[in-house]
Order: sequence, then structure tokens, then C-alpha cells
Amino acid sequence: MAAPIASTSNGPPANTSSPQPSQKSMTKAERRELQEKQRAAKLAQAGDSNKPKAKPKADSAQRKSSNAADKTHSSVDASKSQAKDVAASAMDVEAATSKSRSLRIFSHFGLTKHGHTVKGDIHPCIIRLALQFSEFRICGANARCIATLTAFKTVIQDYTTPPNNTLSRHLMTHLSPQISHLVSARPMSVTMGNAIRQLKLEISGSDIDMPEQDAKDLLCQKIDDYIRDRIIIADEVIQDLACKKIKDGDVILTYARSSIVEKVLLSAYKQGKRFSVIVVDSRPLLEGKVLLQALTSAPPVSWTLSNDSLLPPSPPIPCTYALLPALPSLITEATTVILGAHSLHSNGAVFSRAGTALVSMMAKQHSVPVLICCETYKFSEGVMLDGFGKNELAPSHLFQTSTQVPNMEILNPLYDLTPPSSITAVVTEVGLIPPSSISSIPMALGRITL
Amino acid sequence: MDICATYERKLQDQQISPPLAAILSLSELCAASNAGTMFELVKALNEGADSLRRNSSNPISLNAGCELFIAFVTLFPHDSVPSASFSDLKMELVKQGQSYVRQALTYRTKIAELAVDFITDDSVILTHSYSRVVMETLLLAHQRSKRISVFVTEARPRGLGVKTADALTAAGIPCTVILDSAVAYAMEKVDFVIVGSEAVVESGGLINAIGSLNIAIIAKAANKPFYALAESYKFHRLFPLSQYDLPSHNPRILSFQTPVEQDRTVEKPSSSASPNTRSVSGALSSITQEQIAKNNPDVDYTRPDLISLVFSDVGSLTPSGESPACFRSLFFFLTRLFL
Repeated sequence: MAAPIASTSNGPPANTSSPQPSQKSMTKAERRELQEKQRAAKLAQAGDSNKPKAKPKADSAQRKSSNAADKTHSSVDASKSQAKDVAASAMDVEAATSKSRSLRIFSHFGLTKHGHTVKGDIHPCIIRLALQFSEFRICGANARCIATLTAFKTVIQDYTTPPNNTLSRHLMTHLSPQISHLVSARPMSVTMGNAIRQLKLEISGSDIDMPEQDAKDLLCQKIDDYIRDRIIIADEVIQDLACKKIKDGDVILTYARSSIVEKVLLSAYKQGKRFSVIVVDSRPLLEGKVLLQALTSAPPVSWTLSNDSLLPPSPPIPCTYALLPALPSLITEATTVILGAHSLHSNGAVFSRAGTALVSMMAKQHSVPVLICCETYKFSEGVMLDGFGKNELAPSHLFQTSTQVPNMEILNPLYDLTPPSSITAVVTEVGLIPPSSISSIPMALGRITL
Repeated sequence: MDICATYERKLQDQQISPPLAAILSLSELCAASNAGTMFELVKALNEGADSLRRNSSNPISLNAGCELFIAFVTLFPHDSVPSASFSDLKMELVKQGQSYVRQALTYRTKIAELAVDFITDDSVILTHSYSRVVMETLLLAHQRSKRISVFVTEARPRGLGVKTADALTAAGIPCTVILDSAVAYAMEKVDFVIVGSEAVVESGGLINAIGSLNIAIIAKAANKPFYALAESYKFHRLFPLSQYDLPSHNPRILSFQTPVEQDRTVEKPSSSASPNTRSVSGALSSITQEQIAKNNPDVDYTRPDLISLVFSDVGSLTPSGESPACFRSLFFFLTRLFL
């Protein structure tokens, strides 16, 4: 808007066309009146032009967001031969996304969709696996990675190279749709990404002259080796290392459920260490209940002979179960916090189940050491600064809230990011390392596998 | 051969620190052993290291040396000796071990050269207990005609601060022994703190004579730099989570004292689990310094966030920043250094 004193000839072109008496001939009051009038006209015009403009903008944004959220979905959906139910489910999702307008800033988290369809040549075991993923029947970084690799073994065995092609060139094009099918069911975990990258490397490096069956067997062998070396054996080493940090009389606090933490606690118990566990849990997944079940139902060590005296069976691990709001009153009891991780980033930040950051920060505040148990194949090369850039939302249909209030959307991010400052050490199969030196580990491993 | 006696004999040399003595004793064990294979040799070395550890009240620093030597033996390329008989290989290992120790004795000079630039003219320095490398650094600064004055803590229970004070005064450096409990009082006058170390651990933290942690915390509170000097053979693969996670910790440390008559029964670690029956009777005056020392730790663990810099022969490292990053590679690198 022009300054009031500025000459009116500077007004917008639409106004300058209206006949005007020479300014010099006008009195001061007249001039002011004219100015006011022009300003009012301009405002009205601007208002008019704004309104219709604003609307398409909002519309397009809305459309865009629903498109973006739907993109992966629609790419999977073959629109050509769409069965009616498919169309209906697509509309459902459309409706759901438009309803979840309030969560637009989280739309990039990628809502997990259900009722997705199969496009192209997808192996039945992948279809089954995708369903298990989307229904959260298989959950957890390790379990998902092992399940994926095992399924790929079946896919590779059932694959035959088409004529005029080589396995090393063609197999990956066969696997790609399988992978994208899995991703459409649930976003890929870092572990799966690392494993698949390794598999791709193995495939492209396989010998062209090798008989097909041999090459397939070799690949399956490589997959087995990967599972054994990077997950199974790594877990055993981590168990050993972490057990050394558990002493008699300790109170171990853990959050939600991590397969490796469960193994650590059980094996420390089996070694005869007498400690107690606080399981902190939170909605919506309530995974801690599973851990609690595993710990309390650990078979009591039966009568054992030691130093020529029969020892009675020891009672199960004493456990306390609490929800996250109770953490401040429990953290003072804990001597060590042991947590699992979904992935670990090169700045030392730990990406793990939502709530982990809260637990470790609270522990840091009370100077309780925080141990993160994490295999090196969970390391991600990227740097992560917060839990908003990348995350995943818990599908609302699986984790129903008790009350459904209209116009209220529940936001359930599955993960959060723990800053390296609130972590004491990361227990990996190459030893205990401070979170700040995570980036040196791939180099220590010779960068062969990451 | 008696490895513990060898170890004690090696320690008689004023210049030899526990890790180096451990390396020397293990290499002598290596020469004396009649092992015919690598497996047997490593087994014998591990047993030797174990007996050294058992006989030492504070196994941390000697353990660093043992680990280094055993890692070196296992990683030693077997084809590096042309004549390729196993006894030749053993002799080669012994030779390498001894040459490493000779080389390691020059590390203190290197560290002193690095650290001396951080000592400015007219600075007041606080140091703790007695450390050879700190002495070397301070004397070098004095030689470079930097006018320094030194506060040294008494360092109970071993009282080694007096030894430092004697040596410094003899060299002409103004030096005052202060009480361990007077560190906070003295801190305001101090420009920086400089300490030696028993071991530097993987977290970037420091294991040193008891009282170092107090000094580090007070220095942090007063915003004074806290420098640590450590030869690279003191880097130890250990990640203590707390004071009680150190290998030197045992149930007797900090156990609640029962009346003197029952003291015998408490000494067994198994019965010390029930210290409920403590009674602070009028026997206070009968507590001797030895009794106090017995229930107290020898070393403590200083967290990396309290340390400003670690001076080592491989360079000056920041403990909380990149030093942990190079720590692991450093360990492998060190074993290479032998060759």
C-alpha cells in the first residue's frame, strides 16, 4: 500500500484509469477524501481477488496431501482392472485421509494402509509377509529383517531366469516389485534396507557362468550367513557384553519390548545373577506386556547341583510393570537402563520406539547409566536430528482408541529419536562404544558389510 | 617361572610403569615357555596374565599391558620371520616386546613436548599424587624457563603427593602440598589441573588415583581446564558405567564397618552382604589409617565430560569429542606400532 502522502498517480493501474482532476487544483481535504476512496476501492478489490484465490490454494493443498498419502497406494492399485471392493477400499482410504486433515503436517510419515492389492508378479510368501507386516503380526526390526530375508530365500529358489537373461542382471528386477510390495504394507525398516542392499550387492556380484541352481543356492547361503553373523551371533555377543554390566542386586529398567533386551535379561538370569526388572510401557502398542510375560514365565531354574549341595530352584525374575507416567517415581530405583533400538544413526542418535527418548533423558537427569543394545547391522549412515523428519504412524484400525470423538484425530507416531547426549553407551557386537564414536564402527568393520 | 616375581622385579625400575612391566614379564614368559604351537602360547600367556591380575590389588593398568601384548601376539603375522620355526617366532615376539618397551619409554618425552605448550609463564598448576609423565612435563616447563608454581595434593592413603613435592622443590619449582580436602579451597588460585593416569578407557574417561574425580568435578565447577596425560599403552578396552563397575571394585570397599571384634568375619566377601548390624560405638579413636584405607577404593573413574584434553603420544585428544572415535582404530593401530 502506498504511503498516504504519496501522489495518487502511483496507485494501481485500475484506479489510475478513472478520471481525476488535477491534484494541484484540489484542496487538501479533497485530496485526502480521494485518497481514502482509492484506498477503500483497492482494499475491496484485493479482498475480492483474495477470496477465490485462497480457496483453490487450500483445495489443492488438501488434494496434494491426500494424493501424497495415497500415492504409494494408488501406484500399487492397478486402476485398470479394479474390482469393486478395491475401489471401495480406495475410497475408504480417501475418506480417511481427508478426515485426517488435521494431521497434515504428519502426512509424510506415511500412514500404514490396509487392504492393499497385489500388482504384478508377487510371490505368495511375500504377499503373506506383507499382510503380517501391515497387521503388526511381525513387528520389531530384527524379526522383520529375518522374516524378509527368509521370504526372499523362497523367492530366489522359486525363481527361474528367463531366456536370454542372466541371473545377476535379472533377479534384481524380479525382486524389486516384491520389495515395493513389502514397503507398501509398512515402510521399510533400516535393518531391512541394509540387508536388501547387501543382497543386491551379492546378486550383482554372482558369477554369470555359474549354473543357475548353484547360484541360487549360493545366494541363499549368503542370506543364511548374513542372518547368522549379523543377527544371531551378534545377539549372543551383545548378550555376553551386556550381562557383564548386570550385577547382583541391580534394578534394570527397560522400556517397551526389544528382543535383544529380553535375551540379555534372560541370559543374565540364567547365569545366576539376581536382579529385578522394571518394565515401563505405554500405549498404544503395550509391547511391555509381552516382555513381562517372557520374563515372569521364565522357567525357574530347577534344582541344581553346585559344590556338592543341591540348590533349590530360584524364583522367577522379580518384575515391576508400570506405564510411562509413573517413570519419574521409578527411575530413582533403577541402577541401569537397558533399551533396544530400531536403528542407530551416524551422529549417535538412537531411533527407537516412541517413549524411549523420554526414558533415557529422564535416566540421564538422574545419572542412571543408559545402555542401548544394538547390532551393527542396524546402523544407518544418515544423520537424524529429530523424530519428525521420518517416522511412522500406528495404523488407527489396529490400535483402536476407546473413544471416537468426531473431528479428533489421534496421532500415534511409532518412533522417536534419542539424542546421543542422553546415552551412556551402545552395546554392539564389537564392544561397548560411546554414542559419539558410532561413525567409526563401519570403518572398524572394514566397511565390508554396511 | 614365577611371573609375579618377574613383574615385581621389573617394577623396581623407576621408569617402568605397570603396563610396561606386564609386557616385559609376559615376553619373558613367552621366552621361557615351551609351547609348541600358537594356541598353547596364547593359553600360557593368558594364564600368566591371570595370575598377575590375581596377585595385584589394582589390576587395571597392568591389565592394559597384558591385553596389548596378547593382542599383539595373536595378531602377529606368522610369516614375518623367514626361518619360520616356532621357537624363532617366539624369540621374535620377545624381541618385539622389548623393543616396544624401549620405544614406549620415550613416550613421556613426547607427551611432555605436547603438553608443555599449554603451560604458560607464571601459571599456577594443581596436580594430584605422583605421576612420572606429569613430573616430566613440569620439569620440562621449568627447563624452558617458564615460571610455574605447583599445588600438589597429599593423595591419601598412599601419600605420594609428598614425593612429587620433594622432587619439584629439588628442581627449584615452588611447590605446596595441600590436603585432599582443600582442593576446592585452592581451586580459585589454580590456572589448570594436570594429572597422570592409570588407564584411559573406551568412553574417553580416565582411571586414576582416588581423588582425581573430586578434583575434576571441582575444576569443572570452577571452569578450570582439567588435563590428563596418558601414554598410549594405557588405553584400555574397558567401559565402566560407574565407579562400581570398575574391575578394582570389590564388596569390601565402602562396606559398613562392624565393631572391631567382628572384623574378621566381615572380611569374607560373602558375609559382607548383610552389613545391617553396624554400630558406631565409641571405638572411633581406635580406627587407624590402615583400617580406613582398607575399606576405601584406590582408584576412581573420571567421566569424559569432566576432562578437557587427554595428552598422549599419539596426539592431544578431546575425550568427549573425537577421541572415542579414534579409540578403536587406535587400539588396532597400536598393535601395528609394535612392528
